[in-house]
Amino acid sequence: MRFPAWYTSSITRGLQQQPAGLILAAATLIPIIAAALLAPLLGTYSPLAQDLLIRNHAPSWVHLLGTDHLGRDVLARLLDGGRTTLLVSTVGTLLAFVLGAGVGLLAVTFGRVSEALVFGFIDLVRAMPGTLLALLLIVALGSGALPLILALGLSFSPQIAYVARASYRREIARDYVRAARTFGGTRLHILGRHIVPNVAGALVTQVAIILPRCIVTESVLSFLGVGSSPDAPTWGRMISDAARSIQTAPHVLVAPLLALIILTICISIVGDHLRRGLDPVRSDDSAIGREARPA
Amino acid sequence: MRRYLPVAATVIRGAAQALGIVFLIFLLCRVVPGDVVDVLGLEGGLTADQAEAMRRELGIDKSLVDQFLDWSGGMLQGEFGRSLRYGVPVSGMLLHALPVSAMLAGGSFAIGLALALVLAVAATSTRSTVLDVAINALNIWSIAAPTFCVGFIGILVFSIWLGWLPVLGGVGMALVIIGLDNAGQLVKPLREELRECVSLPHVRTARAKGLAPMQVAVAHVLPAASPIVLALSGIVLANLVSGTITMEVLFGLPGLGSLALNAIHGRDYPVIMAAITVISVSLVVINTLVDIIARLIDPRMS
Amino acid sequence: MTEGMLEVRALAVAIGNRPVVSEVNFTLPRGQTLAIIGESGSGKSMTAAAIMGLLPAGLRLASHSEVLLGGKPLPLRDESLMRRIRGRRMAMIFQDPMSCLNPYMTVGAQIAEALRHLGVRRGAEQRERIVELLRLVELPTPEVMVRRYPHQMSGGQQQRVMIAMALASEPELLIADEPTSALDATVQAEVLQLLERVQQRLHTSILFITHDLAAAARLAHDIVVLQSGRVVEQGPVGQVIHAPRQAYTKLLVSVRQMLERPQAGHDRPSERPVLVIRDLSYAYPARGPLKKSNKVLDGISLPLHGGRTLGILGESGSGKSTLALIVAGLISPDMGEIELFGDSMAAVRFRMSPRQRRRCQIVFQNPYGALNPRLTIEQTMREPIELLETPGRTGLRSRLEQSLADVGLEPGHLNRYPHQLSGGQRQRVCIARALLSGPELLICDEIVSALDATVQMQVLETVRSLQRRLGFAMLFIGHDIEIVRWVSDDIAVMHRGRVVELGNAEQIVQAPAHSYTRRLIASAPALARASVNPGA
Repeated sequence: MRFPAWYTSSITRGLQQQPAGLILAAATLIPIIAAALLAPLLGTYSPLAQDLLIRNHAPSWVHLLGTDHLGRDVLARLLDGGRTTLLVSTVGTLLAFVLGAGVGLLAVTFGRVSEALVFGFIDLVRAMPGTLLALLLIVALGSGALPLILALGLSFSPQIAYVARASYRREIARDYVRAARTFGGTRLHILGRHIVPNVAGALVTQVAIILPRCIVTESVLSFLGVGSSPDAPTWGRMISDAARSIQTAPHVLVAPLLALIILTICISIVGDHLRRGLDPVRSDDSAIGREARPA
Repeated sequence: MRRYLPVAATVIRGAAQALGIVFLIFLLCRVVPGDVVDVLGLEGGLTADQAEAMRRELGIDKSLVDQFLDWSGGMLQGEFGRSLRYGVPVSGMLLHALPVSAMLAGGSFAIGLALALVLAVAATSTRSTVLDVAINALNIWSIAAPTFCVGFIGILVFSIWLGWLPVLGGVGMALVIIGLDNAGQLVKPLREELRECVSLPHVRTARAKGLAPMQVAVAHVLPAASPIVLALSGIVLANLVSGTITMEVLFGLPGLGSLALNAIHGRDYPVIMAAITVISVSLVVINTLVDIIARLIDPRMS
Repeated sequence: MTEGMLEVRALAVAIGNRPVVSEVNFTLPRGQTLAIIGESGSGKSMTAAAIMGLLPAGLRLASHSEVLLGGKPLPLRDESLMRRIRGRRMAMIFQDPMSCLNPYMTVGAQIAEALRHLGVRRGAEQRERIVELLRLVELPTPEVMVRRYPHQMSGGQQQRVMIAMALASEPELLIADEPTSALDATVQAEVLQLLERVQQRLHTSILFITHDLAAAARLAHDIVVLQSGRVVEQGPVGQVIHAPRQAYTKLLVSVRQMLERPQAGHDRPSERPVLVIRDLSYAYPARGPLKKSNKVLDGISLPLHGGRTLGILGESGSGKSTLALIVAGLISPDMGEIELFGDSMAAVRFRMSPRQRRRCQIVFQNPYGALNPRLTIEQTMREPIELLETPGRTGLRSRLEQSLADVGLEPGHLNRYPHQLSGGQRQRVCIARALLSGPELLICDEIVSALDATVQMQVLETVRSLQRRLGFAMLFIGHDIEIVRWVSDDIAVMHRGRVVELGNAEQIVQAPAHSYTRRLIASAPALARASVNPGA
């Protein structure tokens, strides 16, 4: 998709406003993501290998971040857990986007009946807080990555669907959509030519908002012991394991704790900047406002 | 009379939603996992006769429709069945857990709302950039740092390094942590809404009348922002659930969240269903009330 | 020479480094009215806001600017001192009364608030004063109105409440910022008369901000003409309007006068009808089971012959735009028949064939919303060709360039985005786009209402010359009598969903038969009829 010049320039304009925080966040984020994805290649230790002789050792040159209560290398577990967390939350976010934006937009495009049915169900899902819905799905399907992704996708999709519906309704009332109808444009033509390009920014913005929330929800669930499969190390599980030896070996707790907070804060900052640059409502209105402002 | 018709419609919608949720819970907890006795039987090593007796006792030898009617009808009378693990009535367990969770949720919501209002109003009236930066930071913090992480940081700093509080039983710490989280969720949209409300034409009229800033804020700006505050409260309530559950687990508080989680680990289905139903139906009730208040506040909606 | 109530000296306002108002000077004598005239972007509203000390955030008043009220300088840079003057010695009313009143408070409570600011305590005295103020602004049944919320009143009533609130302190200066622009023509005239009577009773000085030369001529003693933040010309009304010295003022006046001159060549031989509307009715569907449906059109019958223009004249809520949407095939009527080029539309359940769509096109009111902001002008103009014609793309670009040239735009405009064009240019693009398929009927729905007066005339002239050359028929919807008359051969006057009068354009304006038409035409402020105040 080719972006018009003013569109990309509004992104760079957004980035120029407060670059310091963004650059710092991006500079932190890229090595974390790269290390997590490349962990199996770097691998010195297996994240699962236990050595009961070196339980709760402090960081050293042999084990850079020390070892946990079963003598497993904390760094190896951190990288492996990061990969699981990133994978599950990214796929969950994508699922939420496809369900929310795709199904939401198609439902409103094809008339009142499909809209009432789809949004009736979405209303129901939205009335359940995400964590509860995830717990329910895990009760129903057992624990593992798949129910988790499903739960994340389902519980975050209503938010996107509502944005999609609101944007659709705003766009469908525009005169350029009416003009297209007088030229005989079909619903799908109008959806593709006029509505999707104008609502895409708002929907992509939602992804930036949802991704850090998915990461947080995933960690909460694995902290509660209902996350992905029991032996795979995730940050939430590492935190809940380390809590047992919080008095004797706090460093085992600090590593995943900091990793989680730094990751989500950096993603939030990048997302926030992206949102400010992409937000079509604001850039549209400011463009119109400049000319139409009353004397 | 006309004024109350929309309210009645809101109540009916809330009731329909509650019914839908009850049905969803039944579907996910009883239909999808299959026969409870089979699941438990593998662990307990029951004979076929014992399993049959257990099915009869639990009422799951009947058709699914009858089971649903029995279960939901029982709940209307305050009857939630018996715990599979402990053999005691679930309603008694709920009565013990409910006040703990309600106190946590209500207290932290009040803290969060008060803090968010104070910060947003102060930032709007003073136009202070320092406050705006603080609001942004609090917002990113609440989105990015899960409450349980903040809880651990609190324990590490205050209990272990400073030795101020006992490690477990930190109700106060839990309240503050969830409260800050709520404030962070609320404060930024509230600030943005207030910024827009201040430049609304009718606020300009109030200023042209020569009213004092306080009077303008209370009589003209806050009412205009009230629909947003109410709508945000609904969103924060959903976040409260996650925060309350993790704080209960973290600090060992015997609330609904701990109850539900222990039940999930122990596959105590009657308790799981009861706890989740109570939490989500009370949310629907609260959201319906918020909706009704929003309708009653705005004279244009009746 | 009367004493100056308000003296503005070297008023300058800037947003960042960009000046919005530069070095404006004028004096408003006690008990008189001074009008500031300007088009959008002229800085007239910012001048008013600066005098009240209510500049929006981001706009700065220059340090050397001075405003004197009753001979003493206003403390413009001290908010707490200004607050004591606002609502006491000077008050302001604004353009859109609906959004300027607090929707959460009854109008009585809002006036009471202004009174409490003046020290009138709660109680019988306050209640009496509120009723007295509402009576002053000629609201019927003030005792009932006190308990109403703003949304339960009409626009004219809301503006009267705003005026009552402003007059609570019997201020020496009343600033009226486009007080009638959001109102219908008949209501506009009433509000202007009210302001006049209030001035006679209370001897208030009025600063009247407007874009409407005729309204200014009617109300003001002196006129200040602003263009891009600078004073172009100022002087007594009679002089500025009847003997303008500057080119811009001459243009403003000539635009108005051009409208007031009847058009030549109104009677062309009528061809066969392109559009016949019979007994058309439409109601907006009820929103929810408990709401009533809202009848907008009630038995409309109209004929339109080839090459001619039928003007539809009506105020807001008369159903005229709904009629346009129905004829354009965007909504289906509940009852009635439309014959489009001799074919019954009811027979095909108001679904237009591609052939009919090519022959019948529409241009909308707001050029800011009618072009997709993500598409270049070329992409926008290709759309009707792609949808309505068989693909044969040779020479497409030159064809688009030619159609832009027809509406006075250049080939270079094809590569631009809508936000890079002015309002008038956008509307020209919309007209060019609608004419691409060579329609025989063009529906114009308030096509110049969102534009400034000078731009309005240019766009109207373009449309008329295109009509003369291409010979299409026009259904021209508007609320401005002068504009509709200037464009149309025949006029249908609509009121509450019905056609109350139909006939030759000149005849309707000169000798209206129906009482509503008479009221509408009497309320139109025309320069020629304006009673120029001899004072000042």
